[in-house]
Amino acid sequence: MSLRNRELVFLIPALVLTTLGFALVYTQKASTLTLTSLTYGGLFMALFLIAHIGRRFLAVQADPYLLPITALLSTLGLVVLYRLNEDLALRQSMWLVVGLVAFLLVLALVRNLNFLYRYRLVIGILGLLFLLVTAIFGREINGARLWVDFGPINFQPAELGKILLVVFFAAYLVDIREALSVSTRRILGISLPPFRYLAPLLIVWALSMVLLIFVKDLGTSLLFFGALLVLIYVATGRFFYVLVGLVLFFAGATLLYYLFPHVQLRVDIWLDPWQDPSNKGYQIVQSLFALAEGGLFGRGLGEGYLILQSGRTIIPNLETDFIFSAIGEELGLVGAVGIILLYLIFTYRGLRVAVQAKQDFPRLLATGLTSIFALQAFLIIGGVIKLIPLTGITLPFVSYGGSSIVANFVLLALLLRASDTVR
Amino acid sequence: MSKPLRRLYWFFALLFLALLVQLTYVQVFAAPKLQTNPSNTRAIAAEMEVDRGSIVSADGTELAVNRKDGKYYLRDYPAGDLTSPWLGYNSLRYGRAGIERVYNEELSGKSGLLGITSYWDQLMNRTHVGADVVLTVDMKVQRAAAEALGERKGAVVALDPRSGAILAMVSYPRYDPNEIDAVWSEINNDPGTPLVNRAVQGRYPPGSVFKMVVAAAALENGTVTRDTTFTDTGSVKAGGFEVNNYDDRVYGEHDFAKAFSSSINTTFAKVGVALGAETLARYALDFGFNTELPWKMGGAVSLFPSAGEMDKAHLGQVSYGQGEVLASPLAIALVTSAMANDGLIMKPHLVSRVLTRDGGVIDEATPDVWLRPVSSDTARIVSELMVQTVKSGTGTAAALEGVQVAGKTGTAEVADGEPHAWFAAFAPADYPEVVVAVVVENAGTGGGVAAPIARQVIAAALGL
Repeated sequence: MSLRNRELVFLIPALVLTTLGFALVYTQKASTLTLTSLTYGGLFMALFLIAHIGRRFLAVQADPYLLPITALLSTLGLVVLYRLNEDLALRQSMWLVVGLVAFLLVLALVRNLNFLYRYRLVIGILGLLFLLVTAIFGREINGARLWVDFGPINFQPAELGKILLVVFFAAYLVDIREALSVSTRRILGISLPPFRYLAPLLIVWALSMVLLIFVKDLGTSLLFFGALLVLIYVATGRFFYVLVGLVLFFAGATLLYYLFPHVQLRVDIWLDPWQDPSNKGYQIVQSLFALAEGGLFGRGLGEGYLILQSGRTIIPNLETDFIFSAIGEELGLVGAVGIILLYLIFTYRGLRVAVQAKQDFPRLLATGLTSIFALQAFLIIGGVIKLIPLTGITLPFVSYGGSSIVANFVLLALLLRASDTVR
Repeated sequence: MSKPLRRLYWFFALLFLALLVQLTYVQVFAAPKLQTNPSNTRAIAAEMEVDRGSIVSADGTELAVNRKDGKYYLRDYPAGDLTSPWLGYNSLRYGRAGIERVYNEELSGKSGLLGITSYWDQLMNRTHVGADVVLTVDMKVQRAAAEALGERKGAVVALDPRSGAILAMVSYPRYDPNEIDAVWSEINNDPGTPLVNRAVQGRYPPGSVFKMVVAAAALENGTVTRDTTFTDTGSVKAGGFEVNNYDDRVYGEHDFAKAFSSSINTTFAKVGVALGAETLARYALDFGFNTELPWKMGGAVSLFPSAGEMDKAHLGQVSYGQGEVLASPLAIALVTSAMANDGLIMKPHLVSRVLTRDGGVIDEATPDVWLRPVSSDTARIVSELMVQTVKSGTGTAAALEGVQVAGKTGTAEVADGEPHAWFAAFAPADYPEVVVAVVVENAGTGGGVAAPIARQVIAAALGL
């Protein structure tokens, strides 16, 4: 079967599942099965078909698995949102349309990766600007200053900024890869690359870290750190950089722990949420309760105890950061593992693009984009299941959040473009 | 070229594997513990979505009914505080107590066939309906008992000696279960302990009502007959401990029947010593002391010291219900029921039937013998002594016109304050239908304070 048709075939189960999900939640809410319940599924089937057709024309050779995985993740997220809050689901579906438009636009505009490479500096500066805008004009919601108002729409520029900066890092590393691999100087017996090559990279990186920490976006700063480390490692093949990075990470983390009370709080809650289960530890404790309630097979869509009598969700931020807990309760371990495996397959396909690339830029670009995607999924899922301290970021394609959805579709478009280039 | 990428992929795979391990741990292995964590309100919330069964008294009075609030069913208790000590409460915040706790499986439809249909209802998204619980309690007797006790600390138990069915159970102080969420901390810290059901959880020195056990043991054992004569000089030494009669009375020469009806301590001390520690301890055990009550409602185990723990001084004291013997009002009612029921103690029960909403019987209580402490002959003799007690002894205040009441008073000395007033009785004496045990804390004599209460309860139970 041709790659294109394979994508089409894989889209079908994704959309059948989604249609079933919508019908289930709708029936559960309205107690009747009507055609309306099926229209939602049909609508998104049409949307992804358009995306698929667009991709057929714009990125002929691209990986056929990434779009169906995305379709499954994003519509599943929509089903769960629809079950939790219909208004949010409606807004999310609009964002999904915007995201798919952005997806096609990026594929249409960025016909060639050389285009990105050529404008790497502009992209880097733009990425920094996005972060700067957040830091200056940001409005604080839930203790982090991430939101910028554009009239009626509020947006998190950092979501897009992080992709732009990854593009910049990938492109810039192509330039200095040789220099990094060949050490010229030795300090204390350790070979170091010439500092002047590394300086611009470190400066942009340090700036973005400072800005992210300034707006208290721990999750994204962690992502950034991880992505850059991965990129340097893949670019140079030297594990030494990873070691340096890890030392830096632990030093920085310790420093942050003592400098910022909110970092300290996050870590303390992670270590022992049971000390204050009704207050500080409430969110994570309730998340664990939700997962436990779901057990192996889940309570079924719409059957979990996620909405309180007052109409609020039992876990604060359930629709955004904690949507994975809702999935765990209603779809059980089986459903939650399914989600994790989808992210793993996405990661595998993404890295395969990098492996197949014969040129440095597509390889590093695919690596960088895949890494932030995989790390983001790991950080938030790990956070809500109490594997690691919680950092407030979205679950890619699933959580409610317009900026996140759009940014992730841009990421997907760039990844598919890279994939198309290398084949 | 691709070696770092391959390593990177395995690194991510490892991260996701860690997620899978932790997730499996939380959702499968830690789940039972998480689900029963006290901070987890999900289980209660789930049960609050069940159309909980109602609790109805034997005469058809609804004691616990539902009020729908959103998707939750909340409880109303129309009888207010009257039944709270054993009916309990069902609270989202504080859990459950009493019948609401003990019969929760039935009320929330989780036991038996209803448990299976519960899954079906969940699947069909229907409200699950719990089972109704019908009690043995007769509200007419319950109200009479509560009125008779009034606002005095103590308890009243009325039961049918033929079946063990509890007809009334009153404890004071009480609380209003409709206000449980509001008054929880207040009643929890109340020194009057309104959350304690004194009728089954209270442990009191029984005083002279325990003489029923001693008399039954001595008569059965052949140590005495009703005509055995004794001489009372107002005091007697038992192992160096001086036993006196209540109010320092002196009775002179008398038979055992008189010793019982006038509650002569010195004579019972002699009888107890003559019986011996071992025999008396065995009979106490046969009457249900040191034994868990044979029902789901729990309660305090009544205590009697083991033979090895008793020297003569102790033996003398326990023979008239002082010293280290402690009993709940229900335990005394059960002892009394042996006299009323040919020497048999029936298993007490508070629930007569468990019904589905449309009246199908899920469970039905059948009378069942718990203990056979003495022969029917012995029981008959003791009951005759108890009749005499009400006719001409210490229990005359319990006498009713037209019905022969049999009873035994108790005035249990306590370390400080007035003695606890006890009365144990049954009626009609020749075909007993009701047994009543009354205790009023620090209130005076059993004959003066407790007997009139028992009289009112018996009157209500017999419909007089």
